Amino acid sequence: MSPLFLKLFFFFTCFCLTGYNGVALAQGPEPSSSTMETDNGDLNKEKAASIATNIDSQFGIIVENMDNVLFWKPVKAVPIPLIVAILLCGSVFFTIYHKWLNIRGFKHAIDITRGRYDNPNDPGEISHFQALTSALSATVGLGNIAGVAVAIQAGGPGAVVWMMLIGLFGMTAKFNECTLAMVYRKVRPDGTVDGGPMHYLEIGLQERGFPFPIAKCFGLVFAIFCIGGSFGGGNMFQANQATSAVRGMIGDRPGLDWFFGSLLAFLVGLVIIGGIKRIGQVTEKIIPLMCGIYVLAGIIILVLHANKIPEAAVLIVRSCVSPEAAYGGFIGVLVQGIRRAVFSNEAGVGSAAIAHAAAKTDEPVREGMVAMLGPFIDTVVICTMTALVVIVSGAYNTPEAGKGVEMTRWAFSETLSWFPTVLNISVFLFAYSTMISWSYYGEKAWQYIFGTTKKAIIIYRILFLGFIVLGAVASLENVITFSDLMILSMAFPNIIGGVILAPRVKVLLQDYWRRYKADEFTVYE
Amino acid sequence: MALHASTVVVPIDFSSASASAINTALEIVENPSQLYLIHVMLPLETMSPGVLLGDVTDASRTAKVTTALKKLAGTHKAADAHLAVTIGTPGLEIADYAQRVKADLIIIPSHGYHGLKRLFLGSVAERVLRHAPCRVLVLRRFDQE
Repeated sequence: MSPLFLKLFFFFTCFCLTGYNGVALAQGPEPSSSTMETDNGDLNKEKAASIATNIDSQFGIIVENMDNVLFWKPVKAVPIPLIVAILLCGSVFFTIYHKWLNIRGFKHAIDITRGRYDNPNDPGEISHFQALTSALSATVGLGNIAGVAVAIQAGGPGAVVWMMLIGLFGMTAKFNECTLAMVYRKVRPDGTVDGGPMHYLEIGLQERGFPFPIAKCFGLVFAIFCIGGSFGGGNMFQANQATSAVRGMIGDRPGLDWFFGSLLAFLVGLVIIGGIKRIGQVTEKIIPLMCGIYVLAGIIILVLHANKIPEAAVLIVRSCVSPEAAYGGFIGVLVQGIRRAVFSNEAGVGSAAIAHAAAKTDEPVREGMVAMLGPFIDTVVICTMTALVVIVSGAYNTPEAGKGVEMTRWAFSETLSWFPTVLNISVFLFAYSTMISWSYYGEKAWQYIFGTTKKAIIIYRILFLGFIVLGAVASLENVITFSDLMILSMAFPNIIGGVILAPRVKVLLQDYWRRYKADEFTVYE
Repeated sequence: MALHASTVVVPIDFSSASASAINTALEIVENPSQLYLIHVMLPLETMSPGVLLGDVTDASRTAKVTTALKKLAGTHKAADAHLAVTIGTPGLEIADYAQRVKADLIIIPSHGYHGLKRLFLGSVAERVLRHAPCRVLVLRRFDQE
């Protein structure tokens, strides 16, 4: 048996052990008896709907089983999943350990991103600004537009406070992981770069005295969840919400989810299998513009409703400290806020470290500082703005506003009637660029496990496209739980490993900061 | 029995092990022009940040590797060696190249991993052995690759 198949066997055994143990008991919905009376067209439509329901119910059972294992709550009296506690404690730890770098290093981070220290001869593929853009194209997207609406719906307006706080603390978690990715990245002779948590966990932990099997295990667990994340949040959630946006625009039509899912898979396939890089390049360049338009529209709405902002702020703070029981009380709101914030900005998750590792610099700390701006832009600015629009418009307690992306669209269209069209285009482009970026993250993780052979790579890419179609037909609830499970679980090895390796980052940071304060850096602008 | 060969292919991954493979090859051939150094690059990922936002292309990668190969050959007194840069799966590309230049020997370093490391790291040398059109001399390597 070839090594590739042995590895594939190992991977799928792990996957099945975590989630598939209840599927054998699944009962698909009974076929409708009324089909006999319908004509052929209706029969096909019903068949398609029945297949979609069946897939979704099977998927729901897998997700439920995974949820029990991965979102384990160690203390019954305090229903916080272990992974959410790790994310919260980890982010706070990094912030205190690196002495509030998110605040003291903020101005310097902006200077670096502006290109002040860009040396074109440094090793790497892209500038600091491009690395930030690349990481943001994976994080800014439906997590900001739909995820915020989901957070408010499930956790009430108070969840916004936790989202902001975890965004602020998450900045240093992002700094820690991206600096590590730079330290342990491998620059190939052709100038391309290979880096990310799988590499720093494997090499870094061995340097700290851990034996190879344990270090490799950390890398492997991360890679497995990263592949899952690339199929979930980086793919199915995007496809699901993009389909939902189209449904909102043209109305629900039979077979729409299959058709649109396949169309999305085809368009992503053009870039990742067809190798037509021009499409991806154009999308990546449009994304900052779409972000700008989205933020501008949000600002316009907030200015027009300026009188309602103090009231919204009071509501947010009040429901944060004394939330309604319907939202699961204080803990329920906290968990929702953290889940949606981390899902959106991916701080502590380790995904962005794969993109930041490609930066052109020989100063690992410098790229870490650029990465720190990611959660700030993503969560503190864009998510908060979306939240305020959803609250001042009253969408969060208007049942006909819908859920997820539909609620955000309703909120924006209350003031700007032309906005839904722009939002639909944004949703499509955000979803598309996030899927392309995440296919890269997932593939890097896949290569870490299965190697770089052509066969291994093409299997991943085909699976990735398959999950796009699955995401379009599955229900939002199942998709979002699966996506959360995979993306948040990446933080298990990444934060634990990050804490073990933090002293290495601290030494580098102290040395860098001393040279920065002594004005020893060459300025290139 | 001394090993004789007049067309020797040495795959280069720019590790210290591949540098010492050049030295071994120089002991076998009569002059450095009988050496054929090849570096195999992985296919470009069209969704990587370097391609989408930066200026990474196959041409830019080939130019960088060629410069590095020239430098490496020069420092090992093998400036006359033939150089090749290809894109694809390393084991297969090396075997193909050996076929093209009608090599009579390939010299390649290998870790000789087994167990878990073998399962996860795989082996280029093994693939070369399986597809090579000529003799293959495998050198045991102990570096971290």
